Amino acid sequence: MSENKLLKKLFQAYYRENKSKIPIVDLLEHREFGFIPWDKQIMIRHMAFANVESLSKYLSDNGSRHVYSSGTLYLQPDNLNMNNKQYQGCDLVIDIDVDHFETPCKTNHDYWYCVECGKSGKGMMKKCPKCGKLKLKNLTWICDICLDIAKRDINNLIYDFLFPDFGIDEKDLKIAFSGHRGYHLKVENKKMRGLSSEERREIVDYITGSNISLEILGFKDLSLDIGLLRDNIGWSKKIILKIEEVLKNYSNDTIIKLFKSKQFGLSNDIIEFILNNKQDFLKILWNIDGFGPKKWENFLYGIIKEIGIRIDDPVSIDIHRLIRYPGSLHGKTGFKVQELSLKELDTFNPLDENNKNLDPIVFQSDIMQKIEIIEPNVPATKIKGQTYGPFAQGEIIEVPHHIAVFLLCKGVAKTA
Amino acid sequence: MTIPIELIYRYPWLPSLKEFFSDIASKPPSEFISTIFSETFSEEIQERLFEIFKAAFDNLENVSYYKLDKVNVYLYLLLKILMFVLDNKIITNKIANLFSKINYNDLIEENDYNIYSICEDLKLDILYSEPMEYGVNILKDQREILKTSFRIYYTDYLKLISNLHDEYRKLVNNALYNGYVFIQKRRLIRLIQEYIRNKFEVEEDKATLESLKKELLNLPEFKELYENILSQWELKKEVFEYSFDISFKEGADISNTFPPCINEILSKAQEGQNLIHIERLFLVFFLHALNYPVDKIIDIFSTMPDFDRGKTAYQVNFAKKKGYTPHKCGTLKSLNLCMAAKYKDEICLEGYYSKKLDTKKKIKHPLFYVQLKQFRASRKENHTNNKLKNNNERK
Repeated sequence: MSENKLLKKLFQAYYRENKSKIPIVDLLEHREFGFIPWDKQIMIRHMAFANVESLSKYLSDNGSRHVYSSGTLYLQPDNLNMNNKQYQGCDLVIDIDVDHFETPCKTNHDYWYCVECGKSGKGMMKKCPKCGKLKLKNLTWICDICLDIAKRDINNLIYDFLFPDFGIDEKDLKIAFSGHRGYHLKVENKKMRGLSSEERREIVDYITGSNISLEILGFKDLSLDIGLLRDNIGWSKKIILKIEEVLKNYSNDTIIKLFKSKQFGLSNDIIEFILNNKQDFLKILWNIDGFGPKKWENFLYGIIKEIGIRIDDPVSIDIHRLIRYPGSLHGKTGFKVQELSLKELDTFNPLDENNKNLDPIVFQSDIMQKIEIIEPNVPATKIKGQTYGPFAQGEIIEVPHHIAVFLLCKGVAKTA
Repeated sequence: MTIPIELIYRYPWLPSLKEFFSDIASKPPSEFISTIFSETFSEEIQERLFEIFKAAFDNLENVSYYKLDKVNVYLYLLLKILMFVLDNKIITNKIANLFSKINYNDLIEENDYNIYSICEDLKLDILYSEPMEYGVNILKDQREILKTSFRIYYTDYLKLISNLHDEYRKLVNNALYNGYVFIQKRRLIRLIQEYIRNKFEVEEDKATLESLKKELLNLPEFKELYENILSQWELKKEVFEYSFDISFKEGADISNTFPPCINEILSKAQEGQNLIHIERLFLVFFLHALNYPVDKIIDIFSTMPDFDRGKTAYQVNFAKKKGYTPHKCGTLKSLNLCMAAKYKDEICLEGYYSKKLDTKKKIKHPLFYVQLKQFRASRKENHTNNKLKNNNERK
């Protein structure tokens, strides 16, 4: 049996056994559904379900590889023509996925290979450093570090932006672990649903700190000692508080690393000056010799990047986007897209969750499976406290069922 | 019904108009117009109406004879019906600009309580309180505490600013707390002005338009009024039509190579819509970059409701002297001025194929768009010429 057929059967069985556990999203009957099957690389879109029972039945019949539903509400979600679906509004959807930004662990577990010139390497790469071509094959992995970073970002999003600034009510928040490398968040309220794409872009800019005008926020003439002020509600205050946090709470090593990064690009002299005058830097802000407007501007934009949440912008701006359905299985891992309350998010540990009801590793079993590794350089995987790998191409390994499912879903192994 | 009727007289675009004037709100337009012409104020209303059209056609920002009385309600309704029947975007925009500006000047004089009542009537989620501090503004050595009594819910704020792309209005540059944006009274009124302007936008419904037009033009008084306005417009429109020639570049028409962001601004200008500051800047920088003659650029702005040839000439010349470059695509996107999606423009959306890099590249600058289109056009022309040459040689 081919790997895809096997995985399809496993997914079907899971959906059959968990029929009653598939969560109901708000106004399910008004949402468009999309599915990616196991046998073809296509998206089956424009589907609708009158209730969660019919959705469950579809899932147990088809065991789809990926399951999506729209953040959008339509009067006719199954109409094949987007213009005839009768748009009624769209939830605000925010996707935080480590696929889109650097994490320190990527050099340990992510690989890339240039299809054009054959160069390969570790870490995150968008363009081949040798030939400049964009045709890269990437192998991305998961680990506690990157999932913790994604969780920290979703927490920052909620506690630094959605609650204090936007006044979002906790009951309107729907949070879910994506089943792979991040988290999804939906804001379901009537007023938010009425916003157009352009209006959503304003929210995205606010959350990410894009297109801030330092001058409008108060950064004016340094010769007159005019900079940003903590008294100014909004981003001005956020920036000042962050500068204080970095200088007071970060270790010197972390500060050096941060200020040397591309985001700040500060010279060694300047970094040394800041470190030697930490306290003064906070007191005499804006009027430091040798730290002119241009340097301040670079520094402040670096701080803004530290504060801004790294979200996948198009997901939040697009009002016809489909996102993973909660309770469904992720075809690249075999993990469940797990809905979480805010309290549950606090202690949630996707790769080693103690609460059975929240555990995304749904295929956990001690039964051992024999599989063959088909890709070079398969990184180590730490799931449920146990580390498996790294593995080399051609290796035949015996691993617990959930690890086998994970490696098969990742496409780096085949049944032996 | 909490709003005082005097506010409805002054601001007849308020939603409560329908309740206060339910007798006329339920009447079909033809009956409403017959009633107006049978009233004692019929002559006065026509006189006031002409004043408005005259001022609008002359690009003025106020009307000498404008009263905030009950007749104002009938005047507003008649104006709306006329806009629908005239079905002319340039006229509609001119009237909308003028009317909203007149209202802005009156709203500025209103006390806080009335402004709050107006916002409530518009179903805007507004908080009104004792003045609250939300920041400090430092100008030279003066420290000004920023205070306001008004806060507006961010979704309503975003709706109201959706056509205003000034940097200082962006949510990220404003004080947002607990869902509410702190907003100065003057800025709030400016947003209400935008709401009023949009009230004049005519929805295209050709079938209704034709039948209503036919019905109303059967009323002799209305017909006379309608024709008088049109004849006034006939005298003026040439000025605007003349003012709109953007095809010049060393004698050649290159307007077909403009990107959608510029075409959108030009079509707004052509319709007499008010352009916001950033749109004006972008248009001027763009046309300067293509070496358009200064006079031609100034002419484009002559359709604006606030047009002043002297001031415009100074600003256009100043920009030329400074040699500013037009905004990049990224900046235009952040300012919501990118029209790639609206115009479904293939080059903007999908980019172009770079032979050098053997890959698809995105357009990053509107000037490159022009360059690319010109390059493609010249290649096509060369191809056609070569084909013709080859055919001739064969013959």
